[in-house]
Amino acid sequence: MSVDRLPTYSVAELNTAIGSLLERGFAPRFLLEATVSRPQLKKGHLWLTLTDGAASISGVVWASKLAQLSYKPKDGDGVTVVGKLNFWAARASLSIQALDIRPSLSTVLRDFERVREVLEQEGVIDPSRLRRLPRQPSTIAVLTSVPSSALADMLRTAAERWPLTQLIVVPIPVQGSVAPTIITTLESLAERTAELGLQALVLARGGGSREDLAVFDNEALCRILANYPIPVVTGLGHEDDLTVADLVADHRAATPTAAIVALLPDRYAERQGLMQRQSRLRDALLGRILRERQRLQDRALALHQQSPLEKIRHQRQELAQKHQLLKALSPDRWLQRGLALISNDAGDAISDLESVKIGDQLNIRMSDGTLEARVDQIQRSAQNTTS
Amino acid sequence: MSKRQSNKEHRDRIEAWRKDAAGLSYEEAMQALDLLLAELQNNSVPLAELQQRVLHGEVYLSRCQTLLDSIEQSIVELDPSTLEATNNA
Repeated sequence: MSVDRLPTYSVAELNTAIGSLLERGFAPRFLLEATVSRPQLKKGHLWLTLTDGAASISGVVWASKLAQLSYKPKDGDGVTVVGKLNFWAARASLSIQALDIRPSLSTVLRDFERVREVLEQEGVIDPSRLRRLPRQPSTIAVLTSVPSSALADMLRTAAERWPLTQLIVVPIPVQGSVAPTIITTLESLAERTAELGLQALVLARGGGSREDLAVFDNEALCRILANYPIPVVTGLGHEDDLTVADLVADHRAATPTAAIVALLPDRYAERQGLMQRQSRLRDALLGRILRERQRLQDRALALHQQSPLEKIRHQRQELAQKHQLLKALSPDRWLQRGLALISNDAGDAISDLESVKIGDQLNIRMSDGTLEARVDQIQRSAQNTTS
Repeated sequence: MSKRQSNKEHRDRIEAWRKDAAGLSYEEAMQALDLLLAELQNNSVPLAELQQRVLHGEVYLSRCQTLLDSIEQSIVELDPSTLEATNNA
């Protein structure tokens, strides 16, 4: 190839040609996963280096865009950048113009841990601070995105469970730089809880990624929630998502719907309670009448027992019982069975041969009369003879 | 007092209880019912008043049931910047 055939450029022409090539041959928008290095604010614009350790490229967030970002990257943060290539033809320098920057999951979790640690050390996160939720709140505030499927689910659940509670819905933004707005809303509402008759607050946000919930790890927001004048219930994201707001809340529900379930009673269960009370009312009436009737019977009996005739009858009965006892203990029972009672002339009972001698007169009493006898002979039994 | 007069008084009394109960919230009616049940169950109510108290309890019970069955949820949306109502659904 001869030198004459090579394209010839001025520097400006070359740079313009490179810029044109990049413009035509590269995606107008792309996502870049990177770590932020040396972020610096200059004249309101944020300049930073985006690196993955092996390679790096400079980036910029123009001031107008920077104001809209919900998250300001710090040195070392993992981020996902929505960007486009920016080529300056004058110096042939290339950089990424960031249209949006979101923290990566690792950055979100690192912030979560940092805020959690700070608030735990200060005692702001402390299970002993948790307040009991009202049993049947008359009015509750629901802070969530409007309209949203989370709100629709919560309204449906509330209507099914406990329509007696008034719901005061306060819309909050959930995308972008929303922490200051939510904080302002929370502070204004806190001043009016008594006026509005609020008994609890639900802070809810439906699904999305954990990164989308990063605003609920905001330290200032969580401090307000921890000291809120009424009990706070959170229902943020999915069941597995845990934010610092969940840790400072009085009750953490897994989802927005679960937050309503936790706060509002079940009217079907309440109906059961009403039926039980209805039974108790009826039982109270019937039971009381039965008890009073029994008391009346007891009194009638007591009165009857105090009458003179009854007393005489009772004493007769007692006498008859004693008579029976006397008869049972009398020796006549033994005489009836064929045994006899022997006594000497003096009337002393004879129970052995020692008190008897030949010629003594004895009286032998039997069941139907008495024999008089004289002792002719004494024969000891063999056992007594030997002794 | 004639039987007719007595029946009218009875009906008037129940009507007055109903009017009073209509101004009670669910929690208030339930509390009134529970207090009455406690009195009934510890035998502190004179026998002559027993039937009346039970009827009074049934008025509270009926108020609770009505509230549970017929209330439509009140939903108010507030403007987040002014906290004034934007609608009343």
